[in-house]
Amino acid sequence: MDLALQLLVNGIINGSHYALLGVGFGLIFGPTKITHFAFGPIFAVAAYVCWAAATKLGMPLAAAALVGIAASAAAGVLSYLWLYRPFERQGSSHLVVLIASLGLFITLENAIGIVFGTDTKVIADLSPDIFLWGPVVVTSIQLWQVAALALIAGLLAAFLRGSRHGKAIMAMTDNGEMAQIIGIDTVRVSILAFAAGSAVAAVPAVLILFKEGATPHMGFVAVFMAFVAVVVGGIGSFRGAIIGGYAVGIVENIGMWEIPTEWQSTIAFVVLFLILLFRPAGLFGRALR
Amino acid sequence: MTSVMLQATGIAAGYGRKRIVEGIDLTVGRGEIVLVLGHNGAGKTTLMRALFGLLTPDAGSVAYEGREIAGRRPAENVADGIAFIPQGHGIFRGLTVRDNLELGAYAERDAAKLTQRLETVHGLFPVLRERAGQVGGTLSGGQQQMLAIGMALMHGPRLVILDEPSIGLAPNLVDKVMQSIAYINRTLGTTILMVEQNVKYSLPIASRVAVLKTGRMIYDGPPDPLHDRVELMKLF
Repeated sequence: MDLALQLLVNGIINGSHYALLGVGFGLIFGPTKITHFAFGPIFAVAAYVCWAAATKLGMPLAAAALVGIAASAAAGVLSYLWLYRPFERQGSSHLVVLIASLGLFITLENAIGIVFGTDTKVIADLSPDIFLWGPVVVTSIQLWQVAALALIAGLLAAFLRGSRHGKAIMAMTDNGEMAQIIGIDTVRVSILAFAAGSAVAAVPAVLILFKEGATPHMGFVAVFMAFVAVVVGGIGSFRGAIIGGYAVGIVENIGMWEIPTEWQSTIAFVVLFLILLFRPAGLFGRALR
Repeated sequence: MTSVMLQATGIAAGYGRKRIVEGIDLTVGRGEIVLVLGHNGAGKTTLMRALFGLLTPDAGSVAYEGREIAGRRPAENVADGIAFIPQGHGIFRGLTVRDNLELGAYAERDAAKLTQRLETVHGLFPVLRERAGQVGGTLSGGQQQMLAIGMALMHGPRLVILDEPSIGLAPNLVDKVMQSIAYINRTLGTTILMVEQNVKYSLPIASRVAVLKTGRMIYDGPPDPLHDRVELMKLF
């Protein structure tokens, strides 16, 4: 029973991580309809820039985290302006854009390895607090992972519902052509979506750096788990991305009660497969029109 | 004739290498309801999309209130007082009626004007006030069309381009929608350019009619001769 409780808590913590990734990915995919696989290495950029700012420049951790988040947002915007926008202008198919995104994924991942090396980067003098709650053990970084989701989801909900730009993102997510028809500058909103989505995903990247360290390949799992969270929750639904993230995180961890840990990622993809089979639009998505 | 609001000259447009309309001349006078008729595939939608800026014309010019707007982005046309209602209920299906109407006025920042226009829209279509919190996609077809028209009116356009507002509606609703369009034209002074296939309900409200056949204009004139079924059939 103690083990089940610990696995459930771990599931909630991992779920918060996946949910943030899903929200970041969904913020980009929803309005732009670009399957942004380069989201993975751009996620890693946040961790590496934060690591460099903290260890090479000696910046305080909070300031280094902010620099990492800003770098990720900038990299996201540049990927849109330099890679995706020219394809959009030419009216290229989704498949062409998807292949270009995979190309950028490989290029950026290798570039990170060349610039920073392939060893795991850690912040050496970081020792998180450990809390014992009955049979359950959690660290301060894990609590930050849960708190980060609550904080960002709240801020994002207020932004999307209460601001002009937020409503423009919601409108484009619902119907891109109608957004153009009512006078929304869809290029400007796409830039905003890439900046916001990359910044949101940068937060879990920085927390993973604090928790486990950064590797050039850390973006691979991130982008796939983001994709799973979005598809399970329902494309176009931010609430769905959060619930999708939690569903995958909890099922994955509870599954480890009986299944060896090396099968953890497989569980996520089995969940994805089953959801796609029985609810193709995801848990909260609308049927595709 | 009234002063010219929109003048298209020699418009050619299509998708990729496929040319759909060719050499179209069309004039819309201020305060008119200009009806564009034609069979499926005649190029009506392509022409409207080219005029609004959703499609860049391959050739020709479009002058709006004397300024050239061919190839201009839709956002600029909206800011300049042109609204477009696409075929098949141009609404955000996943958002509420209230959100849809607010988004219709995206280009407008004057809060007082927004309140006034919302009152006008609610006055025209009271059901939109009653269903303000309902998700747009769950409204009936007729209500969705009212919402689409209401959204277009929210930014106070001088010219509204409608692409087949009757599509998918029951005959009694088509009549109601056409009467609403005529009322908007009469009371708000909004110029209307409308594509339709439903001749029975749209012809009576038209000031002028243009008929497209396989991408070319074959009639541009008053609606009166077309009330004679024989004359109309000659064009189709």
